Amino acid sequence: MELSDSVLDHLRHVAALPDLAGTRYELEREIGRGGLGVVYAARDRQLDRRVALKVLDSALDGEAQLIARLEHPGIVPIYEAGTLPDGRVFYTMKLVAGARLDAFAAAGPSLAERLRVIRRVGEVLAFAHARGTIHRDLKPENVMVGGFGEVYVMDWGVEAVAGTPAFRAPEPVLDSRSDIYALGAMLQFLLPASAPPALQAIAAKARNADPAARYPDAPALLADIERFQEGLAVEAWSEPLWHRLRRFGSRNAVLLWLLVAYAGVKLLLLLLRNL
Amino acid sequence: MDPDTAIGGPHGHFPSTQLSLLEAVTEGLPNDALNRVVALYWKPVYRFIRCKFGRDNEDAKDLTQSFFTAALQRDFFARFDPARASFRTYLRMAVERFAASQHEAAHRQKRGGDVTFEPIGEQAASTGTPEEIFEREWQRQLFALAIDDLRSHCDGCGKQLPFRVFEDYDLAEAERPSYAALAARHRIAETVVTNHLAWARRTLRAFVAERLRGVTAGEQEWRKEMRRAWS
Repeated sequence: MELSDSVLDHLRHVAALPDLAGTRYELEREIGRGGLGVVYAARDRQLDRRVALKVLDSALDGEAQLIARLEHPGIVPIYEAGTLPDGRVFYTMKLVAGARLDAFAAAGPSLAERLRVIRRVGEVLAFAHARGTIHRDLKPENVMVGGFGEVYVMDWGVEAVAGTPAFRAPEPVLDSRSDIYALGAMLQFLLPASAPPALQAIAAKARNADPAARYPDAPALLADIERFQEGLAVEAWSEPLWHRLRRFGSRNAVLLWLLVAYAGVKLLLLLLRNL
Repeated sequence: MDPDTAIGGPHGHFPSTQLSLLEAVTEGLPNDALNRVVALYWKPVYRFIRCKFGRDNEDAKDLTQSFFTAALQRDFFARFDPARASFRTYLRMAVERFAASQHEAAHRQKRGGDVTFEPIGEQAASTGTPEEIFEREWQRQLFALAIDDLRSHCDGCGKQLPFRVFEDYDLAEAERPSYAALAARHRIAETVVTNHLAWARRTLRAFVAERLRGVTAGEQEWRKEMRRAWS
């Protein structure tokens, strides 16, 4: 039998759609494709609310259980998991309204806002790592920024996922430091070309090819970003003297102005006394 | 329980009966493995040769046949390393090398004369690179085989009506009829039409999965190929 292009495309589309007969969900539309499956917007008829419904490629699944164990404001909660009639695993979760991090960055947010998002992502990673879970495929497409600024890290990986080249650490076996690499790559991705060298250095240290030369964990990376934001020296960069002086000047501007004013008054008094 | 309802039924997925490609080879069934490969890949290879090397219909057929014959003789499956590439990629690259060497040999024979390739209508109508055409033909053949499987399955278990509904709707070349029109045509309720369609699509998907299991080396490759089939 010879299938025309239009019939083939139609079949590929309809055969991939999840058969939700017998569930409480009604399919609305496809909203994304991840490393392990396809995500649809669906309606939960029983609770009359919209949900995200993820259908995994096969019966093998660890992601739902993995996420369900991680209760954190930055991780989208799982509502329910089940099996479709064709054996594929699905689970439903909160439908996040917002933009993926790549779209968020394209809208041109301020540097402070970009750093806030990275810090939220880092906090989620720190939480997951403390529970022995690593993400394995951290990238802008897997981070959502909600309408009220909330940040969610999605698509928690399982063994089968190999990672995305630009954000994947070079080591063959991934561990928590591989997530630090990916976080550094995301920081680099978010930084504008004119970003301060201290921030560039933080991203570079996190992305070091040698895992031992990276930050040991997410809190260490976050602490360095915090130091930058407070105007302190960052661990990742040994700054030149002139830069240190400039940073000192900008951190202590009021004190310097007071000293200048004091010196000015003293000079004026000295001049008046000599008249 | 009607044994047929277990296939894609609500309480279980299609039971896998296929050995993976490497399992078949290691269990001493290279001919069985080759049969599955030929069923799925003959047309993609043929189209690839036509598009990549500008061969005419008969030449491309001969070359395709020679490739599969040589594959069986030359330990083709044993040299496949799933860690390096999918079987689909491995096969396409092997075809490319094989056809290039044959093409070079033919070219040498004709040296001194003008070697011209006849324009191919099919080829002109195709869009994309030979590699894209190979992949598209792979998808086309995969679904065509799965439809044959579905038809045989329906004939074998008295489910001709669901297949006819599927055929009338999902295989319609022109505008698809409405569910109401299909219901009237087959004298069934509209809900039965949608149920038949859902069953047929689910079962078709299961047959696609089975076909792919037979030409992949293991779970990971199978999952990747499943994704390629839909996306």
